[in-house]
Amino acid sequence: MSEIDIKRISYLAKLKLPSEKEEFYSQSLVDIIQWVDNLKKIDTSNVKPLHNVTEATVSIRNDDIEKNNSTEDVLNNAPERAQNFFKVPKVVE
Amino acid sequence: MPKKQSISSLVNSLKEKKISVHELFDQFHKVAKENANNSYNLVLDPDYQKSNLEISQERYSNGKNLPLDGIPLGIKDLFCTKGITTTASSKILSNFIPQYESFVTQQLLNDGAIFIGKNNCDEFAMGSSNETSHFGPVVNPWKNKNSPTEKLVPGGSSGGSAAAVAEGSCVASMGTDTGGSIRQPASLCGLVGLKPTFGSCSRWGIVAFASSLDQAGPITNSVEDAAYILNSISKHDFNDSTSSNHPRDDYLKEIDKKLDHKIKIGIPSDYLKNVTPEIIAQIENTKKSLAGYDIEFVDVAFETTDYALSTYYIIAPAEASSNLARYDGIRYGVREEGGNLDDIYLNSRTSGFGDEVTRRILIGTYVLSAGYYDAYYRQAQKVRRLIKDDFQRVFQEVDFILTPTTPNEAFKIGEKLDPIAMYMNDVFTVPTSLAGLPGISLPSGLSANGLPLGVQLIGNYFQEKKLLQLSHLIEKELSFNE
Repeated sequence: MSEIDIKRISYLAKLKLPSEKEEFYSQSLVDIIQWVDNLKKIDTSNVKPLHNVTEATVSIRNDDIEKNNSTEDVLNNAPERAQNFFKVPKVVE
Repeated sequence: MPKKQSISSLVNSLKEKKISVHELFDQFHKVAKENANNSYNLVLDPDYQKSNLEISQERYSNGKNLPLDGIPLGIKDLFCTKGITTTASSKILSNFIPQYESFVTQQLLNDGAIFIGKNNCDEFAMGSSNETSHFGPVVNPWKNKNSPTEKLVPGGSSGGSAAAVAEGSCVASMGTDTGGSIRQPASLCGLVGLKPTFGSCSRWGIVAFASSLDQAGPITNSVEDAAYILNSISKHDFNDSTSSNHPRDDYLKEIDKKLDHKIKIGIPSDYLKNVTPEIIAQIENTKKSLAGYDIEFVDVAFETTDYALSTYYIIAPAEASSNLARYDGIRYGVREEGGNLDDIYLNSRTSGFGDEVTRRILIGTYVLSAGYYDAYYRQAQKVRRLIKDDFQRVFQEVDFILTPTTPNEAFKIGEKLDPIAMYMNDVFTVPTSLAGLPGISLPSGLSANGLPLGVQLIGNYFQEKKLLQLSHLIEKELSFNE
């Protein structure tokens, strides 16, 4: 198996691994990917992927308006807020 | 172990005014508050529950009690509970107070249940020993009789829910099961653990781990108690698009019905290839206990067992990496500051997730990334269909499947450091989860060390009623419950 680019994978996952832990996670990932590699032996050329085990059709509710989740309740969990908004550092110059 | 009190006997005592709802709550709250085994992230006090206790008592006084009225339950800290901190045992959610109630816990409240507290679990339900919790490991109330000072794991991820019932701090508890997280801890703590068919119980308001696998279910002292809880929580819910709208049975009614026709139970020989004689003895004991009934045991063989764990450890982390993308330190949860928005994401997530969760996000991200998606994720989804088909083939020959629940008894805290060795704990429970079938773990006996062991009974889709009836019979015959 080719090397795993742990820096790229962690950036894709929006994680900033401390440099002393990169080797730990990298090795762990290599071990696990090798462990699951036995799946490649199975011929699945005629098999459809299974997304939902019960393969039930989705039931659709009536489009009725319900009032729940007050703005205040939702914003109470925000680490930082300004009026009725979540507050973050400036993203546009 | 503390004396087991069934839901039906407690409801009767409450009806007959032998005990009040407050007294019952106090009795369990006292044990929960000590938190001797770290089974709780949060214990609710009688003042907080005052009005719920009063309303419940009033219903008993009026003779209009609900099915679970006044019954103290433990709730895995993965269910959102309105106004009550819900952490998923993670640092990143350690300050999160949901503004809504999960569907499943709402059903329990609607039926009169009173919550004792929020049970500790593995972080985001990722683990098989309850050691990955940000709030420290849960200790199994059972002790190795040959080494009674050793602290043992309760199993995971619903380890707190199992330990809470075993220590007698709640009558029953709610867990969630993605690859064995109800059945495995139930087995290691000498309890009954039911994972219903995928789609039976709504996932709405359960902190998501792997959405195509997650399912809520009870951990109880008895099969009858499991039926009480399942009656309450198994309902269709529009808020979960995978919630099934098939008609539900009354799982309690006729639970002790006599077998009126021959049944066939399959025992998969491939599950017993590499297990210890002690584990094989659990299957043999169960078979022997049913000798007087019209039950035929047949050997069955699966073709996909060797691939189930690999399939699971691609699909579950892939879904987890996607589900956990929502934790970014912006709208809720713990934020770590940074110079710009990207730094806030990176810092909050890196500091907020523990090692195992980080590892699984990385695996999931890798198997979903460009160039690897088809080889890993898509291939795993195809093999998942083969696993499902394998079960359906076996279910054409038999009515139920009997396996061990776990390959071992409860092990020492800190003993299993290698992640793959840990993942092997779920070797018997993961295939059922991938197929979405209902599975129940039943206490089957004690190991040489005096620790509980269990067997798993698997039924076909939505056959929970029959599964519970047979489980009830096995429980009676094994008469593990003193």
